[in-house]
Amino acid sequence: MAMKIKRRAILRGMAGAAVSLPLLECMLPAKQSAAQTPPARYAILFAGQALGGDNYAKNSSRVDGQNITEGGHYIADTSYGRGYSLTTPLLPLQAMQNDFTMISNLAIPFNANSTDGSAVPAAGAYRDFHGGGSSPLLSGTRSTSAEYVCNGITSDQAIAELNAGQTTHKSLVVRAQPAFYVSGYSFAGRQYISYGPGGGRSARIEAQASPQVAFQSLFTGFVPDDDDDAARFDFEMRARRSVLDLVLEKRAKLVNNVGQADRERLERHFDEIRDLETRISALPPVASGQCMAPADPGADPPIGGDHSGGGSGSVTPGSGYSDEHTRSRIFADLIHMAFVCDLTRAASLQITAFQSHMNARPIADGLGTLAGTVRPSRWASVGGDLHEVGHNGDPNNRGQIPSAGLLQWHISHYAYLIDKLRNTPEAGGNVLDNSMIVFTAEAGHGLQLNDGSSQNQTHSVENMVMLLAGRAGGFEPGEHINGNRAHPATALITAMQAAGYTGNTLGDVSL
Amino acid sequence: MFFRTVGMIALSVLVACTGQIGQSDDSRGPGGGGPPAVDPLLAMESGARRLTQAELDNTLRDLLGEDTAPAARLLNEDEFRPFDNDYTIQQASDALITSLEVLAKEVAERALNDPTRRAELVPCTPASDGDEQCFRDFLDAFLPRALRRPVTPEDIDAYLPLLAFASEDNAVVDNDFYTAVELAVSAAIQDPELLYRIEEGTPGSEPGLLELDGYEIANRISYLLWATMPDDALFAAAGSGALDTPDGRRAEALRMLDDPKARGQLHRFHAMWLGYRSIPHTPELVAAFNRETSALIDRVVLDEPGSYTRLFTMEETFVDDALADHYGLPRPDGGEGWVSYEGTGRAGILGHGTLLAAFSKFEDTSPTQRGILVRTRLMCEDVPRPPPDVDADQPPQGAMDALCKYDRYAEHRDQSSSCAGCHSLVDPIGFGLENFDIAGRYREHDDGLPECIIEGFGEIVGIGEFSGPGELSELLVENDYVDACAVQQFMTFALGRETTDYEAALLQELTESFRAGNHDFKAFIVDFIASDRFARRAEERL
Repeated sequence: MAMKIKRRAILRGMAGAAVSLPLLECMLPAKQSAAQTPPARYAILFAGQALGGDNYAKNSSRVDGQNITEGGHYIADTSYGRGYSLTTPLLPLQAMQNDFTMISNLAIPFNANSTDGSAVPAAGAYRDFHGGGSSPLLSGTRSTSAEYVCNGITSDQAIAELNAGQTTHKSLVVRAQPAFYVSGYSFAGRQYISYGPGGGRSARIEAQASPQVAFQSLFTGFVPDDDDDAARFDFEMRARRSVLDLVLEKRAKLVNNVGQADRERLERHFDEIRDLETRISALPPVASGQCMAPADPGADPPIGGDHSGGGSGSVTPGSGYSDEHTRSRIFADLIHMAFVCDLTRAASLQITAFQSHMNARPIADGLGTLAGTVRPSRWASVGGDLHEVGHNGDPNNRGQIPSAGLLQWHISHYAYLIDKLRNTPEAGGNVLDNSMIVFTAEAGHGLQLNDGSSQNQTHSVENMVMLLAGRAGGFEPGEHINGNRAHPATALITAMQAAGYTGNTLGDVSL
Repeated sequence: MFFRTVGMIALSVLVACTGQIGQSDDSRGPGGGGPPAVDPLLAMESGARRLTQAELDNTLRDLLGEDTAPAARLLNEDEFRPFDNDYTIQQASDALITSLEVLAKEVAERALNDPTRRAELVPCTPASDGDEQCFRDFLDAFLPRALRRPVTPEDIDAYLPLLAFASEDNAVVDNDFYTAVELAVSAAIQDPELLYRIEEGTPGSEPGLLELDGYEIANRISYLLWATMPDDALFAAAGSGALDTPDGRRAEALRMLDDPKARGQLHRFHAMWLGYRSIPHTPELVAAFNRETSALIDRVVLDEPGSYTRLFTMEETFVDDALADHYGLPRPDGGEGWVSYEGTGRAGILGHGTLLAAFSKFEDTSPTQRGILVRTRLMCEDVPRPPPDVDADQPPQGAMDALCKYDRYAEHRDQSSSCAGCHSLVDPIGFGLENFDIAGRYREHDDGLPECIIEGFGEIVGIGEFSGPGELSELLVENDYVDACAVQQFMTFALGRETTDYEAALLQELTESFRAGNHDFKAFIVDFIASDRFARRAEERL
């Protein structure tokens, strides 16, 4: 017990030494009340792929050169209500069927008669997939061009705003796919799924793509239990703050001597340093109960180069792939513990980018072996990248089953996070009881957005599906619900309301 | 963007099968798109540029001996447009700042833990943990290099509070003099003056025109030619005022172009420009391809100065035995060297595996993508985006299951379809290269399909017909495309942003001088650095 007193003294000392502590006052009551009524948390996980393959109906596939007609592979290819049978993409959720609800048959409107940007209906999609789909899907706001940009705040950031000042980190925005992988081009907006108030380019939130940096950012603020360690920690934190203060003191001198454009650039940079300084000056989180710093994930898996092939040879494992599997799991671990410790209440994890060119083969080869995945009864490895798989890039493996298998891999990370949350006790229940965890894929499967006429297409904002897990706000999961062509943002609003959002709109969409 | 005008724009088009072209233009552009305040012939608009991942890694290598490429590991990937240095889309973020703090701490710790590097960093032996004089000596030596300018007493004094961490009597912390040094190094790495190239300048002959000081000029030259910080000689030239004169800049540029770092930068520039910075092959093959292409660049730019158009017309290539075997070329004497292209249909860089692998779809060539490469990167034309109602991610639908690739592209050629208008601009170029697979090997039929004979005839519509890389290169060179386009690409790279329509006269003037100098690229670069406009900047308009 004596040890604890000393440790508290250090905490007091740190708080006293800090220069500015706008977070401190609001954090103290939040910390204290956390034990009684746990806060609601919200996360969204994103997969940069569609729900099927071009020109293949929901029950048709080609595997290993054989055409197959077989149901159960399209994610929502089953009855509604409770107790529906889980499809290939949902198999990782087998033990968690009562913990999530699937809302299917969601659709984003578009103007069938015009491809003009000004003719896009409210909450609608500009008629150019991929870019046109992102804004309505994630922000409920219409897109007016092919650019990858959300024109309104995204659901995770709306929850972050709701909890602003309550936690050390306003939100946790992370991305598992670190590189674009196609020589000669680059992400160009495909790497953003979180946008702050107002949306638009300037509101986009850069995801942290390094698991190691994300780990350090979240968990180096923990005061160790051991007295000596705590003293060392205190020294280190004072040193960090002094270094940042030293940099911050240059602000006026630098920004006052440059033109307006440079001033804006540099002020943004200094603002971010100031925010970091504020974060680490705030009272450090104290590990207690279920809250403890996770093990250091170590150096990040190396970033894979471009795809390796040769002539018409296949894309081989080890290139175009940066072990997104491990990266996703580490990020899920971090989101889990950040929620448990109430370091943040809003998170987004972009597992793969929009129009992802991640090499699909390591995933396809590993399905059933990679932790948490289940190999479908008919399965053969798929050549090409994630994007090409949906577009039938592999002549022998096309259609529903290959797409479903890769979607399942994405969902395995969702299942992993949910499982961790529900196995973490909190206030008589578990953390999932106080969370809403959303999963969405980039596209649906149906009428093509571009030409407005082709059926069974990946470039579709019809037949979209959202998964909502958790019981925050009294949400009762466990069903498959027919969305009856409701806008996917309605599912987001439902999840946001469960997580404490008092409004009933997201962008142009109202519930 | 300054582009030659492509005819027949107003057609419904389908130009991409991977949907990667026509990327969203999320660039604000300098000056917000309005006319610049200063005639670009006098001075070009510029803004504070954050070092790219590559530039930061190089800078930390030269400043601290750091060799683990921490920026490539810990910072988010730069956007390649096609160059990695477009400052108009750089935006500081929480992710960036957080990563930089981790990076700085890691790099500083490694530098201080290495006795050799530590000794290089600290020129004195501290008499005590709190030895202020020794700390000042360290800062006097280190800070001007870190900030890449002379420092003031105030700059130094700002670091002194860190000494408290060296002298603090702390029973559990193993702190000493070098603790403060480590913190100082970490702070410098996070200093915007290290991370950005901030040019203040002094007011010049007209409003909005700023004259750069010697150190600002030194940084410009260094990051352009070396992608890293200035060396001692360049700093000395900045301090002596030599860089304020065209002759002084010329002398430094010539000296620096003799350094291996300049070669590396020329290789990087070409790899980003021509899209082969990472290509879909085994590391061994990629390395061999890069040696081949780098040898050609070195030769036509630096080792045998003369016409740069030889980059495209060179009738021999640099290979080792393995690469010669790969291409089916005769083996060179001595295991590595130049061998003739005679009778192969190849010439210059377009015959290399690097270029033939670039813009491929992952497992085969894409005639459309190769056509786009030629139009956009070698002719500097703007290939229009497909109209929104076309799904450009899918192969041509009309005959998608046809056995042979040429037949699958029938819809693109069908004049009654909406596709032909724009695809006729690009596909025929790609089909003229179809005899060369994505590993740069000659082939007579589609891979694995003897029944699909490749004719290999191509056309740049409106310019002329060709077959193979050699004849294509000849068309591009003789019709004055590649020289003008190379100038534009170089300027995009040098400015760290796309050139604007307002800079058309500037590009025209530069192209004419490039031609007047018989396409000597080295002389062109040196002249550019020597020019008055290189030592100036125009304030961005908002």
